[in-house]
Amino acid sequence: MQPKRLQTIVSRQKWVAIAVATIVLAGVLSVVSPVFLTLSNFQAILVQSSVTAIMAVGMTFIILTAGIDISVGAILFVTSALFAQLMLVTGNYALAFSVTLISATVLGLLNGLLVVRFAVSPLITTLATYSIYRGAAIHLTGAQNIPVPREMGFLGNGRLWGIPVPILVLIVIVIIGVYILNHTRLGVYARAIGNSDRSARETSLPVARITVLVYALSGFMAGVAGLILLARVGGLQSGIGIGIEFTVIAAVILGGTKLTGGSGTIVGSVIGAVFLVLIDNGLNLLNASPYIYDMVRGAVLMAAVAIDRYSAFRQSVVLEARREARIVD
Amino acid sequence: MKKILGAAASAAILLSSQANAADVTIGLAVDQLFESRVAVNNGIHAEAKDRGYKVVEVVADGDAQQQNAQIQSLIAQGVSAILVCAVDQNTVERALVAAKRADIPVVAYDRDLPDSAVVQSFVGPDSKVDGRLAGEYTAKALAGYEGQINILELIGALNDQNGIDRSAGFREGIASLKDVNIIEVPTDWDSARALSGTQNAFQATPNIAAVFAATDTHIPAVETVLTDLGRLVPVGEKDHVVITGVNGSRDGYDAVVNGTADAFVVMGTEATGRKAVELVANILDGKAVERTNYVGGNLYTGADAAANAAKIWGAPK
Repeated sequence: MQPKRLQTIVSRQKWVAIAVATIVLAGVLSVVSPVFLTLSNFQAILVQSSVTAIMAVGMTFIILTAGIDISVGAILFVTSALFAQLMLVTGNYALAFSVTLISATVLGLLNGLLVVRFAVSPLITTLATYSIYRGAAIHLTGAQNIPVPREMGFLGNGRLWGIPVPILVLIVIVIIGVYILNHTRLGVYARAIGNSDRSARETSLPVARITVLVYALSGFMAGVAGLILLARVGGLQSGIGIGIEFTVIAAVILGGTKLTGGSGTIVGSVIGAVFLVLIDNGLNLLNASPYIYDMVRGAVLMAAVAIDRYSAFRQSVVLEARREARIVD
Repeated sequence: MKKILGAAASAAILLSSQANAADVTIGLAVDQLFESRVAVNNGIHAEAKDRGYKVVEVVADGDAQQQNAQIQSLIAQGVSAILVCAVDQNTVERALVAAKRADIPVVAYDRDLPDSAVVQSFVGPDSKVDGRLAGEYTAKALAGYEGQINILELIGALNDQNGIDRSAGFREGIASLKDVNIIEVPTDWDSARALSGTQNAFQATPNIAAVFAATDTHIPAVETVLTDLGRLVPVGEKDHVVITGVNGSRDGYDAVVNGTADAFVVMGTEATGRKAVELVANILDGKAVERTNYVGGNLYTGADAAANAAKIWGAPK
């Protein structure tokens, strides 16, 4: 492949802007903190990103359809609560894992069904289910913390072939996500629905079925992420995962997925999640004052958005120049 | 005759007081539900039951505007008094002013509202003393430590007075130590953030000698990181990282009893709840009450935690 053609293909990828922003931020951190450029720190960053990144994979599919799910954090909370309770009562891993993942998928599926059935904005629908799921979790646990067995720590902090387990789980999820998005009808139709819901319906695409499926997929991812978070933290704590939905959505949008749907990548969303973790990692490494965290987070996010906008502008200029050149020819 | 009249008067007073008790309804405005808050609320319900009071409980889920609306609703229901744990001390004042206009007394619990013109009394932990107890223990454990002492502090929410006071108290407690470098990690009471922050702090400063967790529910996260680094050494052994916290939860209890954490300061959750209702009763009876009522925490170590399990609200019952 010609270098120029390769350059063109790469520059057209939606995730390039966030990748550039991540590299720039990593470059700055490696200068100001000697610890940053170590293998163990990179592993720590990826492990810390894993929960958000796994959820971002699911959320990418939803946002591609021009939808949104505010309840993913609550799904994580309620299914983690279910897992912790089941382990407490039965001590049966197989039962607890399967019930947790099935419940997470069903709760996501329920979101999808409600979005399709009532044709109300997904934002409002999932805001309602957020409240229901969160309330159910608090009811289920009585707002008590529940420890999980120590062996469970393997999922959050163990290693296989020297690689932390959360990173391996993330890799598997990303491979599956990329495959579904690029090589199955679900991915192609999800993009089509996001591009134009009306056109998708007019061409007889199964809009309702695809919508329900992407919400179910996202629910499943929230369940997986919840298990990893539970294992990492060492037990269920009241409110675990609440608020994570905004970090997940930010990661997906930073990764180049359009909030209006139709365009986006899994890789971009994962890089977006890593980028968000990098900010806190850098602040921790520098022992920054706790009072400047929010300000720095905001400023860095603003810079990332500026890079994204600049990249989009450059791309439009190049495309316009090519179009004009074709007209002249 | 005098005896008969006296007995009749006593019976009448008793009956009247029982009738009053049945008429008392406390409006309980809770910021949000989590383990230690539920423990305090249980104390409130228990004391109210003992006195024959009714309790109407509302939970704001951390939403200050929702809490205001809930307090308005309690006023509309005509409750006798309001017990409030505020989400936000500035926002809640508007709703509390409405309570004052309706002649409903207000008592703050767990989280003080020092600038409020409405709150008649406060009961809760003396978080500065709680933090100081943990700090003094840490200072004692690290006495004789050579070189710079790196201490990781997992700070609670930056807008939560209890978190701020615990931090201030801890620093007072370790004032006797020389050459201390405090590594501050904000957690917003979130254990996932505490975990990431602890991991990052140990990356940057591997020779951390002590960890102070503003809430002991973060201690399992600290254990996770130390296990991962191969540094989870039991209390009393060489290279042990001194771990302390404040709260009194099951997480803290287990860690201290298992010997991975050194000590934890246990808040008097039930005593706080019972005292809150007692203050309401006194105000309704027209008795004078103290503006600030602290319920002191107690520090327990591996040596005495199990023996005092009954006094530790988070210990398995």
